Amino acid sequence: MSLNRSFFVPLDSPLHRLNPLTKLTFVFAMILPAFLSLPAFAPGMAIPVLIAVFVGGVQRQYRGLLFKLILPTILFMFFMQSVFLPIGETVIFQLGRFDVTLEAMQTAFLTVSRIFVMVSSFAILLLTTHPGELMSDLTRRGLPPQFAYVIISTLQILPQMQAKAQTIISAQRSRGLDTESTFLKRVGAVVPLVGPLVFGSLVEVEERAIAIEARGFTSTRPKTSLHNVPDTNADKIIRWIFLALVILSLGGRIWLS
Amino acid sequence: MEVISQNAVYFAVVLVIMALLFVWAYLTGRMQKEFSTMTWVLIPVAIAINLTIGQIVLVLKLPVYLDSIGTVLVGVICGPWAGALTGALSNIIAGIILAPDWFPWFPVAAVIGATAGVMANIGYFKTWWKVVVTGFVIAIMATIVGTPISIIIFGGISASGSSLITAFLLETGRSLLASVLTTNFISEPLDKIATSLLAFAIIDGLSTRYLSRFPRGENATVEKGQKQTELIIALVVVVLLILFGVYILPSITGG
Repeated sequence: MSLNRSFFVPLDSPLHRLNPLTKLTFVFAMILPAFLSLPAFAPGMAIPVLIAVFVGGVQRQYRGLLFKLILPTILFMFFMQSVFLPIGETVIFQLGRFDVTLEAMQTAFLTVSRIFVMVSSFAILLLTTHPGELMSDLTRRGLPPQFAYVIISTLQILPQMQAKAQTIISAQRSRGLDTESTFLKRVGAVVPLVGPLVFGSLVEVEERAIAIEARGFTSTRPKTSLHNVPDTNADKIIRWIFLALVILSLGGRIWLS
Repeated sequence: MEVISQNAVYFAVVLVIMALLFVWAYLTGRMQKEFSTMTWVLIPVAIAINLTIGQIVLVLKLPVYLDSIGTVLVGVICGPWAGALTGALSNIIAGIILAPDWFPWFPVAAVIGATAGVMANIGYFKTWWKVVVTGFVIAIMATIVGTPISIIIFGGISASGSSLITAFLLETGRSLLASVLTTNFISEPLDKIATSLLAFAIIDGLSTRYLSRFPRGENATVEKGQKQTELIIALVVVVLLILFGVYILPSITGG
């Protein structure tokens, strides 16, 4: 597991060219019906999600995520829930002394398809959108610029701190710090590893605060952006369509119940 | 259907209370006071600390996460709102770089930071035993917020190791809500008390001059007491909290 990457894949697909807000709307237009509308929507939303993967041309990276991250999680959850949820009468088969019922399997299927839709649609957003582009577009629409600063600068600090942590672990091991044997020794290793890392990074905070204050960070005047994120009419139409679909699916739920 | 509408009412009430708190803090200027330039610069560092220490703990194979030390730190020295923001953004960053299934947990991380801030404001982040109490309160709040998310979004049994406890409790005939609540109550306090103690150790090591640059640096002035009495009080508090958990919890969750 490494921290020094975001999921973004630089490509030129119709999905990459869309405005970041449109893709964010897409994510919620998938998740809200899956969680709040009729149960049939949960597996149903997987279809538009998978179509979006192909439109974005990120099949290879999505497949990697699917096999490494999504499938192991949801298969394990499906197994655990269908075995352990104590609901239902229709016993399909018995596993040891646990009854696997049809009702438990249905509930488990509903939950994992919701998780699938949620994780996959966020994955599509992250695979086709650079975090910086998303933040600068949201800032232009009125999100306080400090939020963009926090997200972007965390993504820059993380790989550095990751490297620093590796250095500290190696350095302390070479001095004989025990990070692998008994439980108590491993507990004792927390402070010598965490201390240098935290104090080292906190020292830089003060300098950085002075530096960004000198560059007008606290200024309340409107800020200009170096990078312009296009927002076409097609984007606006797509966003309205997504919004209408969400309202329709939620309205259908209320109307039918 | 009745259950869902009941939950929707709870949800709406919580949202309204949150909105009122937000408006109150905004109008009285409490929120703005917390967000100085130092706070804005500290937040990214704190998030990076959260995630990196989370990884170091994975290397050490300890039964805790310790992935909110930075959040607690910001909550204590900058204030509850800054702590809540740090927690929420921390989960969003984890969602961006680790796995998108971190996103739904952001209210838990936010409440951890907010609770740490409130406890520090009333003076419960100054000595070892008070920090243990703070850690315990943080764990309770994280349980209260985390349990509905776990049930509504992940169906109560997720892919983490502690789900085995939930499965066991379900098998003994408890309801799903009681099982998830008990599981969280068993697994959270250890992690959150350890997190708070580490954050306290870090604050103890920072100079007063450095801390005073933050909006609520005075929350962290460590009261120097007798080391030994301190330790004894801390141990007694831990034992009392465990007894509280063992005897009170089953009656709250209705067996």
